[in-house]
Amino acid sequence: MLIFLAKRLGYLVFTMLVVSILVFLVLELDPGNVAQKVLGPYSNDEQRQIWMEANGYLDPLPVRYARWLGDFMIGDFGMSTRFKVPVSEILLPRLGNTALLGLGVLLVMVPLALLLGVLSGMKEGSVQDRTISVFSIATTSVPEFASGVFLVGIFVLWLGWLPGVSNMVGGFDIAQMVLPVAALVMYGFGYITRMTRASMAEVMQTHYIRTAVLKGVPQRQVIMKHALRNALIAPFTVIMLQINWLLSGVIVIEYLFAYKGFGSLLLEAALNKDIFVIEACTMVAVLVAVGTQTLADIGYMYLNPRIRFS
Amino acid sequence: MDKRKSGANHPYIPELREQLRRGEVDRREFLRTITLLGVSAGSAYAMAGEILGQGLTAPARAQGKAGGTFKFAMKVQEMTDPATFDWTEKSNVARHILEYLTITGPDNVTRPYLAESWSASEDLKTWELKLRKGVKWNNGDEFNADDVVYNFTRWLDPKTGSSNVGLFSAMVEEVDTGKKDKDGKPVMSKRMTEGAVEKVDSHTVRLHLNSPVLSIPENLYNYPTAIVHRKFGEMGANLSKNPIGTGPYELAEFTVGSLAVLKKRKDPYWGGEVYLDEIQYIDLGEDSSAQIAAIASGQVDGIYEVDVSQLDVYDALPGVKVYEAATAQTAIGRMKVTEKPFDDIKVRKAVQLCMNTPEILKIAYRGRGQPAEHHHVSPIHPEYFKLPFPKYDPAAAKKLLAEAGYPDGITLKIDFGQTSGAWELAAMQAFKEQCAPAGINLELNPVPAATYWGIWTTTPFGMTSWTHRPLGVMVLNLAYRSGVPWNEASYANPEFDKALDVASAILDVTKRKAAMEKVERILQDDAIMVQPIWRSVFSAATDKVKGYVTHPTLYHQWHKVWLDA
Repeated sequence: MLIFLAKRLGYLVFTMLVVSILVFLVLELDPGNVAQKVLGPYSNDEQRQIWMEANGYLDPLPVRYARWLGDFMIGDFGMSTRFKVPVSEILLPRLGNTALLGLGVLLVMVPLALLLGVLSGMKEGSVQDRTISVFSIATTSVPEFASGVFLVGIFVLWLGWLPGVSNMVGGFDIAQMVLPVAALVMYGFGYITRMTRASMAEVMQTHYIRTAVLKGVPQRQVIMKHALRNALIAPFTVIMLQINWLLSGVIVIEYLFAYKGFGSLLLEAALNKDIFVIEACTMVAVLVAVGTQTLADIGYMYLNPRIRFS
Repeated sequence: MDKRKSGANHPYIPELREQLRRGEVDRREFLRTITLLGVSAGSAYAMAGEILGQGLTAPARAQGKAGGTFKFAMKVQEMTDPATFDWTEKSNVARHILEYLTITGPDNVTRPYLAESWSASEDLKTWELKLRKGVKWNNGDEFNADDVVYNFTRWLDPKTGSSNVGLFSAMVEEVDTGKKDKDGKPVMSKRMTEGAVEKVDSHTVRLHLNSPVLSIPENLYNYPTAIVHRKFGEMGANLSKNPIGTGPYELAEFTVGSLAVLKKRKDPYWGGEVYLDEIQYIDLGEDSSAQIAAIASGQVDGIYEVDVSQLDVYDALPGVKVYEAATAQTAIGRMKVTEKPFDDIKVRKAVQLCMNTPEILKIAYRGRGQPAEHHHVSPIHPEYFKLPFPKYDPAAAKKLLAEAGYPDGITLKIDFGQTSGAWELAAMQAFKEQCAPAGINLELNPVPAATYWGIWTTTPFGMTSWTHRPLGVMVLNLAYRSGVPWNEASYANPEFDKALDVASAILDVTKRKAAMEKVERILQDDAIMVQPIWRSVFSAATDKVKGYVTHPTLYHQWHKVWLDA
């Protein structure tokens, strides 16, 4: 177990190192380019030269990389050129906001998707199964930027029931969370539902379930005690993938609803050439991607005793 | 001072009155010029009324209601140093905290503000500004001549990096920095001429110019000329951290990319009653559909700029009104004269002959504006001289290209950042089609706005948006005079500089128009740009917002706006 954990963590660190080298090379290979982005389009050569000298940008590339990596590891991501404050000061609240949005989505999406998936997979081919399948495929086929616009059209412009943007000016407002959460749930839940359904249907065909039914175990107990845990392995992978998607894949929804989260920060940083924010956001996004996969691997071991990584 | 005339007695004033009487200048131009010469706006309106038999004073505003919070959707950008502002949005937040020496209204007339009055010498080379007394900074200090001297000195210090160096080029001299560039040529730097700004007494400042300039008062309302406190540098040179100003509002909250909250000043404001208790600028990001959703659901009461393509949507929203202003806002497809192939005037002329501006106006901007003429002076500028309208002639362009050594045509790439909206792409697509018959294969390179601002002065061929300025000479001085920082085409023509000097120094509108003929013609003949259109701008507000108008430069100054809930 310990060896397994050490291996997974070693893999995580290795991936992060490779990504950091790529990020550094892509964004910081040319020091003049960095100076231009930091000082802005109106700076002159003399100002850029002074900046590069003062910030060690005239040192050899490996030295600069080592220093950059060292700063990163202690949480010093540099100054944002657009916000004029340290990147960490902006990054953490934005991550918090996205985590809040992601949590909202997971709280609605996971129970709903599991419930519908189980209901659907319990009786394969029934009207109940067909209805749920058609509905979940339909919503998942519509990308979130389209469903977001539809939802705004219906609930903001037509019915006037909900606020149109979710920028939380004046404090947290649950009403402003409804539309972004709904758009993301609509897009994401069908996938988990379909996986749960397939997994559930497969489990329901197994001998031990048949045995349980034949020996007279009530259906509720068959589902809850015997079928569900085994049926959850496949959806668990999908759910873990969704966490990654909820961090960096929600750019479109955050943009559409002016939600001040991690995704919109990354997008705005890219549009404004806010170089140190781009670097920090990329590293965080990769860390979350690799981190959730590591968690998923550990989770498998718990869910399925047959899986042993030794 | 013996040579000087006070504003009210400037020798040109009787002549100007006569011209108004004879109908040679219109009322607006009369008001503009006479206020530039130091006559107060009230007296100017009275004079015009006396001559034309119209109302004696400026139209009175309806009585406003005090109170309320005006929530307005606009980008909230960093707001460190007003002297280096490069976006109007930055100045809009700052304009409620800081003030300018003058104010140019939506009617294009410039009136006194922190400067109570001004007067110019006959040769327009000495300007005396009388500052308003009794104006207090919100830290309790009194506003005085030291503040103004400090600001001028700071703007014209090359270390500040302010674009005001171009605006006040008549107060600047070129000096050798003692350094050499790569080719061994001495590196020159521009700095304020010794004694260019003089403190006469506690509330009087005198400007000494190297050459005559007409537009000093109007330059003083250009967005990077907000007056900061005389200790701005000592206090850290950061407005968002130390928001000390003379304006009616104080900065209560400020988060870049999110929110700026301005609250009414507690101590009495010199400018009379301030209606709104609070102004909130709310950043809704880059997506224009978020703005529509926000105003539709009442989360904001106003939108900074409505894109021309969305006018129908806004018209369909109940309780929302679109405000339009005809402007001298434009985008210039400028060619860098130092870069191949644009160092050849024949290529540049060929490109110019390929643009059919009235067609582009129709296709890309729904006809809401005016076709432009490749010289960056607008028909709404008072000194505009009408030259023969440029012809669309791809056959002539083809011939010129052959002469330039491109008998089989040429491929050109234009960079553009759509910094003034999606219409730029539509305009460039239309232009591409118009270029094809001449054998010009125009490659379009749309880049993100921020990327464009990284290359706007260096790209060989780029389309740059330029904001409205009340006088034509103002933008020409900023963008086409040899060696100024914003001269993105690297254009340097001493003959043009001279002609511009002449035009910038003439008060008489008729004579100035005549002088502009040469200026416009040189610029057009040197073919450094293609200029498709002059565009109207639009903003939107809900019905409850009163006293709101769209300024041609989208400037905000809202202490007289009120809410009628």
